[in-house]
Amino acid sequence: MRESLAGDQRAYAALLQETTRLLRPFLAKRLNIASEVDDLMQEILISIHKARHTYDGNRPYKPWVYAIAKFRLQDHLRTHYSDQLRHALDFDELEEYLLEPVTESLMSYESISGEVDKLPDKQAMILRFLHQDGYTAREVAEKTGMTESAVKVAAHRAYKVLRKKLER
Amino acid sequence: MANIDDLVATLAQDAATVKPAPHPFLLCFQWMGAAAIYLALALAISGPRPDLLDRFHHAWFVAEIVALLGVFIVTSLSTALLAFPDLHQKRRLAFAPIAAFTLFLGVLFLAWRADAPPSPLPVHSFECTLSIALMTLLPAAWAFYSLRRFASTHYRLAGSAALLSAFSVGALWLRLHEDTDSIAHLVEWHYLPMLVIGLAGLWLGKVLLKW
Repeated sequence: MRESLAGDQRAYAALLQETTRLLRPFLAKRLNIASEVDDLMQEILISIHKARHTYDGNRPYKPWVYAIAKFRLQDHLRTHYSDQLRHALDFDELEEYLLEPVTESLMSYESISGEVDKLPDKQAMILRFLHQDGYTAREVAEKTGMTESAVKVAAHRAYKVLRKKLER
Repeated sequence: MANIDDLVATLAQDAATVKPAPHPFLLCFQWMGAAAIYLALALAISGPRPDLLDRFHHAWFVAEIVALLGVFIVTSLSTALLAFPDLHQKRRLAFAPIAAFTLFLGVLFLAWRADAPPSPLPVHSFECTLSIALMTLLPAAWAFYSLRRFASTHYRLAGSAALLSAFSVGALWLRLHEDTDSIAHLVEWHYLPMLVIGLAGLWLGKVLLKW
């Protein structure tokens, strides 16, 4: 790190690679999805880069780097859980929608395909499978590795968003 | 993984020579020096209380000023440490304000017990809090401006410590300027608002110091 602070690009690249190797198991243990680990790792590397002037090379490196990693992990988890809470459904509501046929919709898919593309990737993919390709919820569940009810809930959420957009 | 390699390469290209941040003790000394000048200037302009020299012969007044000075020093030090992601690996010192405040509360309690018969209450009330708050503005702005150049991972606590440090400068100024010794008044209008300021600092830290 001392060499990196002195502007040695090769030493800095080696340090960041080593840091990635050091932090990967730490993050993988706390996050289930590999893509999330990669996203968070990138955020951490950028944070290390931004904060590198707060490390002087005279104290151990690991506590400094772990402090930043923990800080970014907590931030990530806070955002993740607050998103989940925001999108949470009531059990009563859920029961009602699980019984609904999700492949039958009053809207024609073609007329709203532009809006579907603007949805989050997962929701857009599920709607495309259901309405463009004509799969049933169970088939979509098998294709995506989700449970059937998770597909229905995701579809329901997507309908809700679309309904709001189209009502405007 | 390829994305990470690309990112590492990009960051490495941007690795110019970096001047390390000053040691937190040095940072703390800088803040305290600036605050001492500010306090001296404020006292020179507003004037010290007429009986200041006489009050320095009263043990509880001296103890209160020393404890308040202790709060100022310790919160300044804590602010400087909290500016670093790893608290400069001096965790205990970063949380030392808890001990300083406990000591300060103890001194106030003993001063209140010793204040018999009680000193008369002044006619004014919230004006004291307002004066301290106004006096606090400049050091607080400076502290937050300095903190933003660092990378605090405890931004709420850093905000709180910075505001408490700035507020203690204001409280010191008023204690040396205002001719009032009623402990009840001091607690209600000088020191209890510190609690509110500390809580406001938690919020302000989140707003201003997140990076």
